[in-house]
Amino acid sequence: MGFLPELDDALSVESLTTLKRNFGLAPRIYRAQTRRPDLVDAQVRVLDQLLFKKGALSRVQKEFILLAVSAENQNSYFPALHGQTLQFLGVKPEQSQQVAIDHRNANLPAPDVVLLDFARKLASNPHSFTDLDVAALRGSDFNDEQILEAVLMVGLTQLLNCIQMGLGTEPDFKPRIILPEKEVNPPDDSERQIPEPELSGEFVSDDPDFAIVARVRNGETDAFEELVRKHGRRVYRSLIGIVGSPQEAEDALQDVFFKAFQHLPHFEGRSRFSTWVVRIAINTGLQRIRSRKEFDSLDEEREEFRPRNIQAWTETPEDFYSHEELRRIVEKEVMKLPAKYRVALMLRDLEELSTEEAAVALGLSIPGLKARVLRGRLLLRESMVQYFQKPVRVNHD
Amino acid sequence: MISCRDFITELGNLLEDDVASEIREQLEAHLAHCNTCQVLYDSTRKTLRIVTESGSFEYPEPIAEPLVTKVMDRIRK
Repeated sequence: MGFLPELDDALSVESLTTLKRNFGLAPRIYRAQTRRPDLVDAQVRVLDQLLFKKGALSRVQKEFILLAVSAENQNSYFPALHGQTLQFLGVKPEQSQQVAIDHRNANLPAPDVVLLDFARKLASNPHSFTDLDVAALRGSDFNDEQILEAVLMVGLTQLLNCIQMGLGTEPDFKPRIILPEKEVNPPDDSERQIPEPELSGEFVSDDPDFAIVARVRNGETDAFEELVRKHGRRVYRSLIGIVGSPQEAEDALQDVFFKAFQHLPHFEGRSRFSTWVVRIAINTGLQRIRSRKEFDSLDEEREEFRPRNIQAWTETPEDFYSHEELRRIVEKEVMKLPAKYRVALMLRDLEELSTEEAAVALGLSIPGLKARVLRGRLLLRESMVQYFQKPVRVNHD
Repeated sequence: MISCRDFITELGNLLEDDVASEIREQLEAHLAHCNTCQVLYDSTRKTLRIVTESGSFEYPEPIAEPLVTKVMDRIRK
């Protein structure tokens, strides 16, 4: 049943009746802790106040958070227990199962998808969590009380998962699904929120945009125009490398500055405005391409790369073309790269983000990011051979 | 002696000058006798240089101002 034997009189602990009322049984996870009835009582009170009682979020939303975060932790105990509860609440087992595996394909309303994105990210990647993640919830019309409940539900689930794993409690019901790592929320790094960079100081007081930002925050909306004019170039460049077409980059640019304006009250000035707005651009671009199949699985890097077109290049290939021609060649060939490589290469080689910054932006590990950048460079090299290879000498003798 | 496969694995770090001296020596020893990797290294290095210096994906000037107007119109609504 678990690592610590259950006491014979476990069921006599009074607070377990609240659980019986809600679950239809006293789950083993709590029975396993009855050596300390006071601590069981404390947990049950939190469950009662936060999960069972009516709050700002609906009960089903809170149950889904518990399900998704448990799945993120590869915990099968709680999806089994709470899947049962959700059935009492009118949710079909198939939908609960899908929420655990991949909530984005579980026919949920769009705000609930955003809510579970938020919960999973907070659970799995808390170090890259920023005010932009909170802003994403606000953008889906969640109020501060609901956001607080979401955060607390993630925290409660982490605690419960940890207790169950630490006590080795076996499921009360046969789990409908066992959650191996790869099945949980299939990896699609394009969908991750883009955090602000890791912050080294309390406040970036040398931000050249500090004064303009302050004016906008004080209600001088027109001053924002200066920021759009000043940073439009860089935002556009970030976007076009990700979305792949000038028209879409122009549309996305408007979204980026609109979001930046909306979120400016939450911008704490701990990074430069320019860095922050580029992060929003990357995030917006990735959100736009996330449904495209081309931004696909992470497995491809494991395939061995076999270089082709091994022809020597001229010593200074740049000399054969004008700057304008080179620019067009690069744009044409970069755009032909698969999106996952193009984006990594753009961030490193054109945006000149550091490896760490680009990895954080794409939600990749450093080796994962490096592998993508290298593959992008090698593929680009192959397509550039046609322009820059050494002319073959024909011997007429 | 390292293989071509090992060389390609380390190529990214070599391009970014991010390899320990011991590994660099091995990579250079490989390059000295492998023409294929030599060409691969040389042409990838040049690709990188061309890309970073190309000034690609610049903001087309004719659309810059209309876009500022569109953004500000949306904000003021």
